[in-house]
Order: sequence, then structure tokens, then C-alpha cells
Amino acid sequence: MNKPLFAIAVALGIASVAAVHAQAPAAVSRAPAINDAQIANIVYTADQIDITAAKQALKKSRNEDVRAFAKEMVRDHAAVNAQALTLVKKLDVTPENNPTSESLSKGAAAELKKLAVLKGAAYDKAYVDNEVAYHKTVNAALSGTLIPAAQNAQLKSLLETGLKLFQEHQMHAEHLARQLH
Amino acid sequence: MLRTMILIASLALAGGSLPVNAATKAAPHATAPAHVVHAIVIDKMQYGPIPTDVHAGDIIEWVNHDIFEHSATARDGRFDVDLKPGATVRMTAVAGTTAFFCKFHPGMTGTLVVK
Ligand SMILES: [Cu+2]
Repeated sequence: MNKPLFAIAVALGIASVAAVHAQAPAAVSRAPAINDAQIANIVYTADQIDITAAKQALKKSRNEDVRAFAKEMVRDHAAVNAQALTLVKKLDVTPENNPTSESLSKGAAAELKKLAVLKGAAYDKAYVDNEVAYHKTVNAALSGTLIPAAQNAQLKSLLETGLKLFQEHQMHAEHLARQLH
Repeated sequence: MLRTMILIASLALAGGSLPVNAATKAAPHATAPAHVVHAIVIDKMQYGPIPTDVHAGDIIEWVNHDIFEHSATARDGRFDVDLKPGATVRMTAVAGTTAFFCKFHPGMTGTLVVK
């Protein structure tokens, strides 16, 4: 695992540890370790990261399959985020910055820099490998932490659909990775 | 001036004849046996129940309730329907059993049986 991804995994790991802690004293306090405003922020950040990476891919890659994948990432993740924003407005919550989303952003910035210097087939391979790893990490966080912690039913439903979508993306990226190796 | 008048007159005639054409076209449709419309609704990243008892010539109506673009793509290539978010697209059912999937999200699959 490369360093930025490790940082992301650690950040999301912290979130899941926090969720476990929240479950222990459940009888005393029902407040989850991460609230819906923070979850919305994490999901929005995670989507935005993948859109930014895909836009970089559309600038750098000449591989038609990689470009088609990147276009799909932009389209699907933007759709989730549009829905997330609508929901955030409707619920009247302000997305809250939190250590997880901050760490996600930091890790992603480092990854973008790393990818920026690569070219051609080396870039394609690195981008797709990172997409596999990134979707795996985000999916683990969704199923292990974010979905169980979500309080609002509509937010939970959006996260569940998001998880199905990102699992598809992970499969697509894995398929592409096998093609490129 | 005369030419313009003739042109306008012929345009009016052409325009006037359009509804007549449409009417004569619509007539045999009304008397033809009604084809059943079967809807397949995509929601939350999956195809809804696939209709049974579909006959050749019936209409399959693909309805995308998701906020994502999907497709209904036959594995044997006999159809490839692109479904933008919120789109409804109709096609005529052809006899046979066809496995289909979404080309963007290949985990989405289904099988359509047309008698
Ligand atoms: Cu799809």
C-alpha cells in the first residue's frame, strides 16, 4: 500500500474505531461518534477526490478504456454529490469538517502529485491501481463505519446506493487493472 | 412576387397535407392487435422484476429511476439501450432468451425471455 492510501486507511480506521467506542456506552448515550453532518462531509470529500483524480486522468491518459472509466467516475460521483448536497440542504445540516475528511484530502493531494509526474502506460497503470485501492478503502469505510453510524434514513439510503455503485466501480477498476498488467 | 406566392401556396399545401398523412398512418395502428407494454424499472443500482409472459412484438419499456446513467446491453449484441438518469426508452421485444447487463456497472444483470 502506498503512503497516501495508508494515510486514508488510517483516517478511516480512526473513524471505525470511534464508531466501536460509540457502541459500547450506547445505553448511556445514543450520540454516535460521527454525526450525519460529518458523514455527509466525508462522503462529499471522498467523491470529490475521485472526481479530481478522474479529471487528471482525462487530461493525461490517451487510453480509451481508461478514459471511459474516468468519465464514468466523474459522472457517477458527481451524481452522488449532487444528491448529497440536496439532502444536506433539505436536512438543514452544515457539512462538518472532521479529521477523517481532512486526512482524506491530504492523502489525495499527495496521490495526485505522485500521479502528475507519470506518463503514458505507467500513468494509466498507477491511476487504475490507485482507483482499485481507493474504492476498496472507501467501500470498507461505508459498510463498516458510515452506513451503520448514519442516523437519517435518507442519508443511510444514499450511502447504501453509493456503496453498491462504488463496488461496481471497484470491479470495473479491477477489470481494467488486469487488462493493463 | 408571383414566385413567392406559389412557394407559399405549395408550402401551405404541403403543410396541409401533413395531418392527413398522420391520420392515415394512425388508422392501421388503431386496428392492429395491441402490443402489451412491459416496464423494467432500474432503481438503486439494480433492475427491478423482469416481466414474464412477454411475446415477440410486445414493447419493453426501460425506466431508469436512478440518478446514474445505466444501460441495458444484451450479451449477444441484439440490443444496447442507453439510459440517462430518469430516462424511459422503449424497444420492441424479439423472440428468444437474452442475458443483459449494464455496460457501466456490469454487476447489474438480468435475463429477458421473449416467447
Ligand atoms: Cu448501471
